[in-house]
Amino acid sequence: MSQFWRRHRHWLAPTLFILPGALLFGIVIILASVQTIWVSFFDWDGVGPMQWVGLANYEQLAADPQFYTSLKNNVIWLVMFMLAPPLGLALALLLNQAIAGMKFLKSLFFVPLVLASVTVGVVFTWVYDPTFGLLSLIYGWFGATAPALLSDEHLVSFAVVIAALWPQIAFCLVLFLAGLNNLNEDLIGAGRVDGARGFAMLLHVVLPQLREVSFIALAVTVIGALRSFDMVAVMTSGGPFGSSTVLAYQMYEQSIFSYRFGYGAAIATVLFAIMAVFIAWYLRTLLRPEQETA
Amino acid sequence: MYPRPIPETARSARAAYIALVVAVLILWLLPLVTVMLTSLRSFEEVMAGNYWGWPKSFNFVENYTAVFKQTALARYFVNSLIITLPSVVGVLVLSTLTGYVLSRHRFPGNRLVFALFVGGNFLPAQIMMIPVRDLMVGVGLYDTYFALIIFHTAFQTGFATLFMRNFIAALPDELFQAARAEGASPWQTLWHVVVPLIRPALAALAILTFTFVWNDYFWAIVLTQSDAVKPVTAGLNNLRGEWTSAWNLVAAATIMVAIPPVAMFFMMQRHFIAGLTMGAVKG
Amino acid sequence: MASVEIQNVEKHYGGFHALKDISLTIDEGEFIVMVGPSGCGKSTLLKTIAGLETVTSGRLRIKERDVTHLEPGDRGIAMVFQSYALYPHMTVEENMGFGLRMAKRPKAEIDAAVSRAAQILRLEEQLQKFPKQLSGGQRQRVAIGRAITRSPDVFLFDEPLSNLDAALRTQMRVELSTLHGRLGSTMIYVTHDQVEAMTMASRIVVLNGGRIEQVGAPLELYTNPVNLFVAGFLGAPRMNFVTGKVTSANGRSASVTCGDGLTIDFHNLIETPAAGATVTVGIRPEKLHVGDRVATTSFPARVRLTEYLGRETIVYADAAPLVTSGSDSGTGVFTVQIGDIQPFMPDAPVTIGFDSDAAYLFASDGKTLSAAKPVTKI
Repeated sequence: MSQFWRRHRHWLAPTLFILPGALLFGIVIILASVQTIWVSFFDWDGVGPMQWVGLANYEQLAADPQFYTSLKNNVIWLVMFMLAPPLGLALALLLNQAIAGMKFLKSLFFVPLVLASVTVGVVFTWVYDPTFGLLSLIYGWFGATAPALLSDEHLVSFAVVIAALWPQIAFCLVLFLAGLNNLNEDLIGAGRVDGARGFAMLLHVVLPQLREVSFIALAVTVIGALRSFDMVAVMTSGGPFGSSTVLAYQMYEQSIFSYRFGYGAAIATVLFAIMAVFIAWYLRTLLRPEQETA
Repeated sequence: MYPRPIPETARSARAAYIALVVAVLILWLLPLVTVMLTSLRSFEEVMAGNYWGWPKSFNFVENYTAVFKQTALARYFVNSLIITLPSVVGVLVLSTLTGYVLSRHRFPGNRLVFALFVGGNFLPAQIMMIPVRDLMVGVGLYDTYFALIIFHTAFQTGFATLFMRNFIAALPDELFQAARAEGASPWQTLWHVVVPLIRPALAALAILTFTFVWNDYFWAIVLTQSDAVKPVTAGLNNLRGEWTSAWNLVAAATIMVAIPPVAMFFMMQRHFIAGLTMGAVKG
Repeated sequence: MASVEIQNVEKHYGGFHALKDISLTIDEGEFIVMVGPSGCGKSTLLKTIAGLETVTSGRLRIKERDVTHLEPGDRGIAMVFQSYALYPHMTVEENMGFGLRMAKRPKAEIDAAVSRAAQILRLEEQLQKFPKQLSGGQRQRVAIGRAITRSPDVFLFDEPLSNLDAALRTQMRVELSTLHGRLGSTMIYVTHDQVEAMTMASRIVVLNGGRIEQVGAPLELYTNPVNLFVAGFLGAPRMNFVTGKVTSANGRSASVTCGDGLTIDFHNLIETPAAGATVTVGIRPEKLHVGDRVATTSFPARVRLTEYLGRETIVYADAAPLVTSGSDSGTGVFTVQIGDIQPFMPDAPVTIGFDSDAAYLFASDGKTLSAAKPVTKI
């Protein structure tokens, strides 16, 4: 036995090491995700027997106006979230000065990043409150009445996204500050010698060096936008009249509240498909440089 | 450095710059600061509609004890700890093992397994909601701590594996060859060489995982329903519904929810930032 | 008794053929230095012996024991790495005792082995320090100490001195040679530095493109390289190579003409090339001289550049249309090494001469054709 172990441990041990993590992740995450696709071909209330319906859920989805509202809102999220990287970069440029006290100020800027989305949701619900909110207060100074953002079906999504942007900008800020820290000082020096300054320096010398960080910032932002659920659930529950739902929220609502698990799974599958395209692109970009050196 | 550093001799310019940054910071944190102030207001003041001005009286002790006495927040708080701490430990153990194997052992399918960990980690949680919920109901763990512990451990292992693999891969290869040449078994190498060297990574992962799990809301509402199990994020949202007009108390509860991750962040800021940027940047 | 036997070892990495039919027998107590350009397979061969790389085919024996499929820890080897590979979280003492601790040996034995190694390497004062508190040379000694504590049958060194500065390298070279003399163990040493090879080896193994080119004592290899590659690889500055044509061949003699009219006669050839064949003539820089000394062969040139190194002078001389190939300077000039200080005006016309017995003749495939030269016996 011990002889056998000694001869084979060079591959047996690693196999045993990786097994618990791989099994747990494989079953709970990967298999479950794939299973969702399977469920999407059934009519199922979550308790009783599953009834095969083929593509019926998808046909229904294609005719569901709520689905298009969700899809549209997901696009709004995605587009507006693109503000996070440039705003994060702007803040990073502001904060990248070595002055006494700056370190502490920087960490205060990071705080939204570690707040739970529920916290952010609660905070912004109050900011938006039409009678007592901060916004109404500011409008009041100008003698105007603040719009009831969270009950306006045209503005509600934008209001929610702005709240969600808060921690996302902080995330990008952290990434860009790290990127600015890793700039090649020689290149900056060379740029200065060559007479580049201000915006020209940023454009031609600094940004090219931030390419990798920008890619990461963009990636986490896209993922953040597609994952959006918490803020919608906390701030509006999809309302008013379902005007602020996103795919993730609609799926949750259909499954948990309407017991239409098959239909919910179909929505999840669409989200999966959108996400898969993005993940594939991300992984390809991520793994390519390694393959070249390998 | 870019932008060009303000010279140390330009004292007034430096002071002005700091003042500017502080002004931006106040705007940036205004919503949070007002919530903090509101958590100190008296009930009368809230009823009178003073939500954003300076509090007329400070009711720190009253409000925060009220939150713990009159609501289930204390219970939620304990629940969150019971869920979060084992998840963090589980993630650290599992990802050290997976990261070590994926970074140091070549085997067919290595890249595929790694890609699955990374890819799965980016999936929106909703995609696996139905089967996971079904699974937990099926094995009788729905609405127990274990449901959330198991799920969070599994899910965070994806990110943590990416993180650990890259960290261990960056260690000098010759250390591992030396250990092999000296007859250390894979387990001995892991315990005597890898674990001592990855302490910074473990610290970073611990704080990141803690924050992620503590802040989770979605799985809290999908996998639990009773107050006895519900973590603090889901609990806060309940409170908000029950105590609509008691803004001061809800504000106090909101601050309480935020304190553990914020405190962890300030205690281990270096690890948090390093972890977040390395996990992301080194991809 | 053979200490290490390598039999027909082959190694493929996917499509890359890293080791080609390597066979070598190393005797007990030998100091073998493997040299070659980067990518020649020397490190791969060493790692194969260590067991850190598997062989595609072939056998490995250490002390008559077949170790081809054994784990590195079971082969009776110890290895010293280029980066020292010291565990940063362990003290010097813990680093040196690591292998024995992993083998779960009794503490007394570990302590004895560590203190013996520490004493040999003068590390007694450093035992409680961490690697980052040590100088480069001390770290290197700890790495060697870690190898000594295991009392291996064979020591393996993978470019151990290349991270040290020049002065320390010389010092460590002397120390390693002394250590070898003291322990009398078999050592296999990989380097790209030919000075290390020439000074430390009992035998040098020259590798190129995954193949052994030549094995032999340092001066034997220097004096009688079997081919153009070995001739060019050993010796700094490099041997001068000039392309020529065989104008006449007769029995074991041949005349070779280079450039416009430099003719060199070779006698007692190992193998005679056909008349008209393209060949390469080689002559070491220290065998060339400048000026009026009587020489069997000479040609005119102009001084391009002179380097005064104190104990020697290196002259780069342009002898166009006669051009050398593959020289250190990257141009077609001749390199002449003079054993003292001798001033030259730039662009001065000079006569370069040499004794034709000192010249080498290589066939177009690189094989040495000229007769073996006497090797100084040490």
